[in-house]
Amino acid sequence: MNFPTRLFKKSTLSFQSRRCYIRRAPAPNPREVTELLTKYASSPHRPLNLSALLSFGRPLTPDAVLASVSYSLEEIPRRLATRVQSLEALPFIVGTNPYIASILSAHRESFMWLATYPTPSTLEENAKFAETLEALVEKHANDIPTIAKGFQECSKYMTNAQISEFLDGAIRNRISVRLIAEQHISLSRAIHEPNHPNVGVVNTQCSPADMVRMCGSFVSELCEATLGASPVITIEGDRDATFAYVPVHLEYVLTELLKNAFRATVEHHSKRNRGRSSIPPILTTLSAPLRLPGSTSNYFSIRIRDQGGGFPPADILQIFSYAFTTAGRGASGDDGSGGGPYAAQHVGGIAAIGDGGMGEGNLFGEITGKGLQTGLGTIAGLGYGLPMSRLYAKSVLLMQIVNI
Amino acid sequence: MSLLSTRCSAKLSWINSPRILKCSRSESTALHFYQNKQLELYASKEPKPMTLRQLVFFGRSMDEDRLVKSANYVRTELPVRIAHRLRDLQKLPYIVVTQEGISKVYELYWSAFEKFRKYPPITNLEENAAFCEFLAGLLDEHATVIPNLSLGMSLSSPYLAPDDLDSFMRRMLVSRISRRVLAQHHIALSEIYAGKRKLWESAEPNVGIITTGLNVKVSIEKCANLLRNQLLEIEDAEGNAETPVEVVVEGHVDMRFSYIREHLEYIVFELLKNSIRATRIKQAGSTNLPPITATIAAGDNAVGIRISDQGGGLFTPQNPIQNPSDLFSFSHIRNSARMEHSRLISLRTASSYHRGVWATVNEQVESWKRSPDPEKEAGVGRHARMGIGLPMSNIFATYFGGSLDLKSLDGFGTDAYVRLPKLGTNLETVNF
Repeated sequence: MNFPTRLFKKSTLSFQSRRCYIRRAPAPNPREVTELLTKYASSPHRPLNLSALLSFGRPLTPDAVLASVSYSLEEIPRRLATRVQSLEALPFIVGTNPYIASILSAHRESFMWLATYPTPSTLEENAKFAETLEALVEKHANDIPTIAKGFQECSKYMTNAQISEFLDGAIRNRISVRLIAEQHISLSRAIHEPNHPNVGVVNTQCSPADMVRMCGSFVSELCEATLGASPVITIEGDRDATFAYVPVHLEYVLTELLKNAFRATVEHHSKRNRGRSSIPPILTTLSAPLRLPGSTSNYFSIRIRDQGGGFPPADILQIFSYAFTTAGRGASGDDGSGGGPYAAQHVGGIAAIGDGGMGEGNLFGEITGKGLQTGLGTIAGLGYGLPMSRLYAKSVLLMQIVNI
Repeated sequence: MSLLSTRCSAKLSWINSPRILKCSRSESTALHFYQNKQLELYASKEPKPMTLRQLVFFGRSMDEDRLVKSANYVRTELPVRIAHRLRDLQKLPYIVVTQEGISKVYELYWSAFEKFRKYPPITNLEENAAFCEFLAGLLDEHATVIPNLSLGMSLSSPYLAPDDLDSFMRRMLVSRISRRVLAQHHIALSEIYAGKRKLWESAEPNVGIITTGLNVKVSIEKCANLLRNQLLEIEDAEGNAETPVEVVVEGHVDMRFSYIREHLEYIVFELLKNSIRATRIKQAGSTNLPPITATIAAGDNAVGIRISDQGGGLFTPQNPIQNPSDLFSFSHIRNSARMEHSRLISLRTASSYHRGVWATVNEQVESWKRSPDPEKEAGVGRHARMGIGLPMSNIFATYFGGSLDLKSLDGFGTDAYVRLPKLGTNLETVNF
């Protein structure tokens, strides 16, 4: 028997209230969705096997591509199911936040699409699948800022620890899903374009020096536009060394670290010197592992050194927690922000003119008060840069692929 | 310029786009999220619990002033208590509140909260009469809360730890009783004052809904008589369903005290019902069933009622539990009978039927009297067990600080011990 989930008692509801009836508690998942979710979420957890993932591309044959698509259609839905369940386990009031709610429904949709997709058995079918998969990945491109905004609004309903735990799991999950998806998309593209330089998401000849240069120039422009000045960046050490890595990950980590370094340098310098001397440069050192027999070192090291004034010991514990940001510190009476966790920041839009509060350097005060951003993007303010960089760095630590 | 950086600027403007609030359902829940401040304001206030004595004292010498005062107390106190329940619901996992049953309760409570919040202060008898009508309407509207909540919580068992589930249910049900006591007491006082209700409808003196000279023996015998020949729902009827079971009352049979009759009689009724059912099943086949003994004990501070049967004890095939208090639990982990198909069906039926479940003796007796019962004829009779008798009895017993304990003599029978405070000086247990 089918029971409606909402019943009106005509005698007690006036016409007026019936007209303005607001549905507050959303309807539950349809049964098929719940069943599929349970089925996938309960299948045994297989940690991301990077070498298996990469082996689909070497050598790149039609069979390998079809094996890759099977693998993707097993591994991605399972991870998405876990993500949907952990979103659904958040407190109800958090789930009604429009940003969180939109993430939940987007994930549910993506999960259903993938869980019910018939496994491609030919390259043509795969091409179609890969195209839609790419659109799916693009659809989820803005998940992190969206969820960040949602949690910002829900900060009074959850403790920092709870939010951190949730985000760690969510982001780790996201990194592996995107890795699997991008790998497959890349292979699908490569099999149709035999001369495509990159096969898969890993660049076996990734040059840290090139990446530092590229990220450095982007961050420099951003810094110049936001803060009015920018230090130069120098590179020393194994400038010609290359290694096998996922360039997108490296790019993200470098960009975030450089953003921190650049901003700190400019702010600190302006506070101290008022433009009397030149801004100290950012010094980057690269070091490739020694491939000596018996050596256990398998890591490429990158050091980014700034003279940005350091940070107080009190902050050290906080810097890897989510939404901790020093942007806005010093701006007075501004939405109760003070740089502590979940300081109110504008995400999106142009920074409004606020009251300067940084003492000397009013230009900085105005902008730091509302999150530092321009049309190019934010240089600071969300507070997600460091914790996410750490997750990225750790996730690909699994890769011991020095010899590929 | 890398893909990442061009994404940055696109990212941020997307967030403010109205596409986020695209469909009407997400629009309304979004609005709801941002309107929560009002709720938080009310939830930041503490409820003001009363004692039985205060309720009696206040009701004894009624005049217009006092009645208006009482009305405004109810008007301001109830939304505070509802607000606490709503915040409690909001802390539950998202997947729980969207379950069938729980979502309905959530909407009902919000609607009640909004109505109370906007209700203007009462200044005279006329406005009080309108207010009483408003209250009665809400009591009606919320009649389906108990079965909806029970159904929803049973379905949510997989998502909540048993302790959390049970303590949540407890808070909900105790608060519900407390609000209904306040509302019904005020309505009763208003009706008595307006001459619409005779002051003493029964042989026992009362004030509002509180009977100040409640005779325990008379109440027990009344319940026993109602149950004597009643065909009780025995799905696994091995027992002779109609053999009468006698109830013997002994002990301090002259005991009288101040209490809410409906609460006491519900507890006794449910316990007797269980005892009779168990006796019939255990002693299937024999025509002379051992009686149930009800012992009344008058202590200094509390009244005790012990109900003993020879029904074989609590650890029977019908009760898949580890210890007696599991029978008060709504979690299927503690009591797997909660997920039984027949239970869920009868809860669903009860939650959609407008009469709802008020947890009183009268409503059950009325439903027996309705014969031919149109529901039963239609095949949707509310005769299958819902399994809320014991949990509700437990809530009623503990509401003013009393207790309910079950002791099993495995293979022989069960003793149920009820303790109710006698002096009326205990506060309602609504501060969580």
